[in-house]
Amino acid sequence: MTLVQGLIAAGFVAVAVLLGAVEWVARRPGSAVPTLSDMCALAMSYEVRRLPVGRVVLLGFWWWIGWHFFAR
Amino acid sequence: MESPPEITAEVPRAWARPAVTLPVLAFLSLVGGQLPSFSTQANLYTIVLGGGLVLVGLSGRVVPRRPVPGRPRPPAAWWLLPALGFAVLEGVTFLAGTRRYPTLSRLMDPLLEDEVVRSTCFFGWLAAFWVLVRR
Repeated sequence: MTLVQGLIAAGFVAVAVLLGAVEWVARRPGSAVPTLSDMCALAMSYEVRRLPVGRVVLLGFWWWIGWHFFAR
Repeated sequence: MESPPEITAEVPRAWARPAVTLPVLAFLSLVGGQLPSFSTQANLYTIVLGGGLVLVGLSGRVVPRRPVPGRPRPPAAWWLLPALGFAVLEGVTFLAGTRRYPTLSRLMDPLLEDEVVRSTCFFGWLAAFWVLVRR
């Protein structure tokens, strides 16, 4: 692994740590920050003429993530 | 005379409890961890498994959903930090498009060759999928 690749990997780790930190803050009692699950639920509740667009997009995106990392 | 509003309570189905779902997800992850990347079996397994979960998530009848929270308040903006950080990093490496600047999936490819790491990540994917299905 080159220095550049190491820095990029460290960047992704930093993003993961940041995500974990925000989730930790959100799960503290009385926190005004919503959890990641709540944010996803909000996005999934988006509908266009009763068509669950948010739900289709998020579930489809997560399906694609699994295929992209584990299969393709 | 008006009848009183009906009070309904959501009863969690026995099979939707963590004591049942976690071992099932663990078993499915162990199977998924045995299938090598870029193989036909891995493609079929993730497509069928993910497709099934998408159908369950869209039906809304098989699994009871948790209530949707109200409008987000300003502190929700904290989520923009990791989201933008990831978008910038992934976007730049994707646009560069070379092995010198690898995207997250390229960085993960060698790690996912190990069956233990692969099964663990598969479990993370399925568990998060199950959370989404129930929201």
